[in-house]
Amino acid sequence: MSHVFLLGSSVALFLLGALTSFALARNPRLCGWIAVVFVTVAAVPLCGVVGETFRTGGQPEVILLHLSSLGASWAIAVDPLSAFFLVIAVVVGVLSTVFSVDYMIRLEKDSVAKFYPVLLVFFSSIVGVLVTSDFLFFLVFWELMTLTSFLLVTFERESSTSQRAGRKYFIVTHAATLCMVAGALIVWQISGSFHFAAMRDALGTLLDTQPVSGHLVIFLFVLGFATKAGVLPMGDWLPDAHPVAPSGMSALLSGVLVKLGIYGLLRVFCSFVPVSASLQAWGVVVALAGVGSLFIGTLAALMQTDSKRLMAFHTIGQIGYVCLGLGVGLYCLADNPALAALGLMGALFHVANHACFKACLFLGAGSVLYRTGERDMNKLGGLGTSMPLTAASSTIASMSIAGVPPFNGFASKWLILATCLLVGMSAPLFLALAIVGLFISLVTLASFLKVLGAVFLGQADENSDVREVPWTMALPQVVLAALCILLGVFPQVFLWFAHAALAGVSQVGLPPIDLLLGGSWGLTLAVSGIQVGFWAPSAIVVALFLSGSLAYGIQRAAGARVRHVPVWTGGEEHAAGTVRYPASSFYLPFKEAFRGIYPTVRLRVPAFPASLRKALDLDRWLYMPLARTVEQAARGLGRTHLGIPQVYLLWIVVGAMVVMGILLLTV
Amino acid sequence: MLTTALVLILILPAMGALLAAALPGRPARWVATSSAAAATALALWCVIAVYPGVHRSSLGSLPWLGEQAGRGILGVLLDPLSSVLLLVVAVIGLLTVVYSLPYVSETNRGHSAGPRDQSRYYFWLLFFVASMLGVATAPNFLQLFICWELTTLCSWALISYYRGETSLRAGFKALVMTHVGGVFFLLVLLILFVETRSFEFDAIAGLAPPRKGLVFFFLMVAAWAKAAQVPFHTWLPDAMEAPTPVSAYLHAAAMVKAGVYLMARSVSSGWAMPQGLAILLGAMAVVTMYLALSYYFRQDDLKRLLAYSTIAHLGYVLLGVALGAVGSTTGFRGGVLHIVCHGFGKATLFLCAGAIVYVTGSRSISALGGLARSMPLTATAFFVGILAVTGVPPFACFWSKFMLLAGALELPGPIGPGLLALLLGETLIAFGWLLYIAQKVFLGAPSPAARVPSDPPLAMRATLVVLILGCVVAPAIGIPLVEPLGR
Repeated sequence: MSHVFLLGSSVALFLLGALTSFALARNPRLCGWIAVVFVTVAAVPLCGVVGETFRTGGQPEVILLHLSSLGASWAIAVDPLSAFFLVIAVVVGVLSTVFSVDYMIRLEKDSVAKFYPVLLVFFSSIVGVLVTSDFLFFLVFWELMTLTSFLLVTFERESSTSQRAGRKYFIVTHAATLCMVAGALIVWQISGSFHFAAMRDALGTLLDTQPVSGHLVIFLFVLGFATKAGVLPMGDWLPDAHPVAPSGMSALLSGVLVKLGIYGLLRVFCSFVPVSASLQAWGVVVALAGVGSLFIGTLAALMQTDSKRLMAFHTIGQIGYVCLGLGVGLYCLADNPALAALGLMGALFHVANHACFKACLFLGAGSVLYRTGERDMNKLGGLGTSMPLTAASSTIASMSIAGVPPFNGFASKWLILATCLLVGMSAPLFLALAIVGLFISLVTLASFLKVLGAVFLGQADENSDVREVPWTMALPQVVLAALCILLGVFPQVFLWFAHAALAGVSQVGLPPIDLLLGGSWGLTLAVSGIQVGFWAPSAIVVALFLSGSLAYGIQRAAGARVRHVPVWTGGEEHAAGTVRYPASSFYLPFKEAFRGIYPTVRLRVPAFPASLRKALDLDRWLYMPLARTVEQAARGLGRTHLGIPQVYLLWIVVGAMVVMGILLLTV
Repeated sequence: MLTTALVLILILPAMGALLAAALPGRPARWVATSSAAAATALALWCVIAVYPGVHRSSLGSLPWLGEQAGRGILGVLLDPLSSVLLLVVAVIGLLTVVYSLPYVSETNRGHSAGPRDQSRYYFWLLFFVASMLGVATAPNFLQLFICWELTTLCSWALISYYRGETSLRAGFKALVMTHVGGVFFLLVLLILFVETRSFEFDAIAGLAPPRKGLVFFFLMVAAWAKAAQVPFHTWLPDAMEAPTPVSAYLHAAAMVKAGVYLMARSVSSGWAMPQGLAILLGAMAVVTMYLALSYYFRQDDLKRLLAYSTIAHLGYVLLGVALGAVGSTTGFRGGVLHIVCHGFGKATLFLCAGAIVYVTGSRSISALGGLARSMPLTATAFFVGILAVTGVPPFACFWSKFMLLAGALELPGPIGPGLLALLLGETLIAFGWLLYIAQKVFLGAPSPAARVPSDPPLAMRATLVVLILGCVVAPAIGIPLVEPLGR
């Protein structure tokens, strides 16, 4: 079956599911299950397309619609890069939908009629974004995706914070899209077409003939995609939008939507911008932007006490790592394709990893919210015993995001930072960036130790009736946590896909993966045949397991007893909630040192000076006086009508004399 | 056959108007609906039958006007440009009439209307539709002028429909200001007749340079006054005193669109507009956009806010026409396409505002809030409307604005990128503010004024559903229609 048929049937299923779930929205649970069924079934043809794409290395392009007046045509093409992101979207999409079935029932104030149908349209727009190879239609799907995600973020209709956050999100990302519209049109001026290939050629010409315009175009594209990706400062929408969205949607925002910004950046840099010195410069810019946002984003995360807001800041931070990998890869693309491939693969692998652990973390935070109704970590504690599955998967995901071996976050961060260090031999800037990255990795760990400590450890409140979440909510978290381990232990398998995805779009021939990451049971970094690094997670896993069981055995053999005593001070016993170590008390000196790192700016409605307003009010000084003048003149004329026949006769005689006079004078 | 159909398109609503005036209450409503529906069906058929060609036929002549001018002085013309206006006028006209069935009745909470008022209302509304259809199908400037002045008359009567002090004042203001524009149009007719002995659209290209500039300038003034552009923009916000369906029609399809149509028609007849004037037209359009935008932030009346948005969007259309006059075909097509796209988007918004007035009796933004709970359909329609009007893809105005922007970049030099930046800036600010207003009115906690039982009656809901669909499919119909345009 052709890929267009498969893609079409999958989108048709999404839309059909949207209609069906809209019709059945009176029963939230049924509606949720309908959505799950349709998403799962629609995922099957998508998986078929993905498998076929990786097997053949790309699907031929098919044109569905042609707009001759603009030179735009809706072209469908699936290459391995699209397929790579499709996989992420499918996995996170299906799991988040399953999670939402029970979760959404809790939000009883709002009808699910504005959740599942919109969610399914959101999925179809993501498919559209990933398979379209014409920029005009790409933008249409892109903005449809923004629109649907805005509707999902502002699901809670009557909460003013969620409306405000959603509005900010929509306006900021719409501005970004308008930037891309401008960039695309400037290129269109030369190419006369919006097709990706035509735009690439035109951008190449533009960079040669008018470098300023060419760089402006690249800047506009980067601005557009980086805003969606959450790179600071444009990514400021992220910490507001994530906490207010329903948790399934937060997972999708961080897991999929933000990643599509990276997809866009990869498209722009790998297939639009010709490999040249300017690409190298843009590599440095992207890396610097990435390091900036990972530094500020992660440190700002350290100060948060709202669990979902904290994770949103970490998304900014982790996207910073991705951008660092991307930047270093682009920097090397011209001179050293091997190092470039390593950096880009690291970035792409981190995209997949981040999708797994961040989705898992958001679902975990959502589960806690579902059971306790709290996002404020100061008011939580001791949930580890009552919610063991959630606690375990969140712990695994936290270790992954902090880059603790042998989890997946370590593998990708190692790849990115190792590349930075290797490049740093010749360009010391990247050495410095790598050191910042390493430091921030520690901050990430600290931040998530805080989350784990404050939410899951400590003593539970007395009489708390918190239980584990239903299986529909636990299962997605467990699957994602398992993926974190799998990707961490067998990175070479997944890196093969990342390599295939990059090889499909890169304009420079990348070295085959065997030369880059030789070795079947681990990663052996090799640049120009020289081995420069080695990472064997399976060996570490075995060692960890052995030492862990040894420690456990010693503890059991020693038979040490644990003594439980109630907490008391001043001769009085206290409730667990009042004596727990709260989240806001962690790392106080650090918070003090970096207090102003994330300033907030308040926007106001522009106030026009009253004088300008008066000057522009034409009615006041032009039309009304004019009307009054006319009226007065008319009244003045009216006064001549006295109603006396003799006066009228006099006028006639005078008039006749004047006419006669004129005639006599002129003739 | 086609000629008969086109004449019927004009006659049917006019007959409907007379009948509606004669019949009281309920029969008037049925006559109005059926004549509008018949005219719309015929209009659709004609457009499909003629596309992409041109149909022109003459029906009568006035020999005393001279051999050349008098021949074919009455007739019908249907080409792609007039098809665009014809479709918008007919379809939105029908929707307005259907929407008015419950709106102009005793059940309206804001303004109830008795049977005699209803007859009067439908008479003027259908007469308005008929004269707008006449504008769309006019084959020469004279006939266009007659229909043009008829629309002025109808809008005067409809704006003053409630006969209150402010309505009468607003109606009079609209009449005077647009009629001043009409006087300039009349001057154009005189110059044209004296110089060329003809009223044909093409005659304008044959004028000698100094006269030609004058003629185009007068046409521009006429169009500015009719389309409420700076400096004649002040009548349109006051015209909000009209019943809301009338405002919707006035803004989306009729009256103001006649102004931009006149400009598009005269520019595209021979493409003879002097460059300097074209640049003036474009510059004034941009000024209008930003001036209208600056009024957004102070409005508390929902309908006045929408009125300023209309002013800005007519600026877009005129900018497209100006781009066409300086040589950008894509820009011209974008401008004409904007007539359709904006028509559907703005009609949706006004009819939503009307639904709010109908149910709550209020149109003050600060008094409203949280309406989405009781009026989900209206809320959906309003959101679709603002997205369509501000040009968020995939909704209507995205396509027309995109074509306009592409057209701007067809110009050489720095003008194109400069216009691009200005238009995108306007788009973003308008989008942000309208989104804010929509959230304020429909979302959040319900305000006391918003505690109402439900969405408006069936006829109004059906209209809104059709318009929501229209906001999505309008470009699919409009783009093929504008493709034959251009030199």
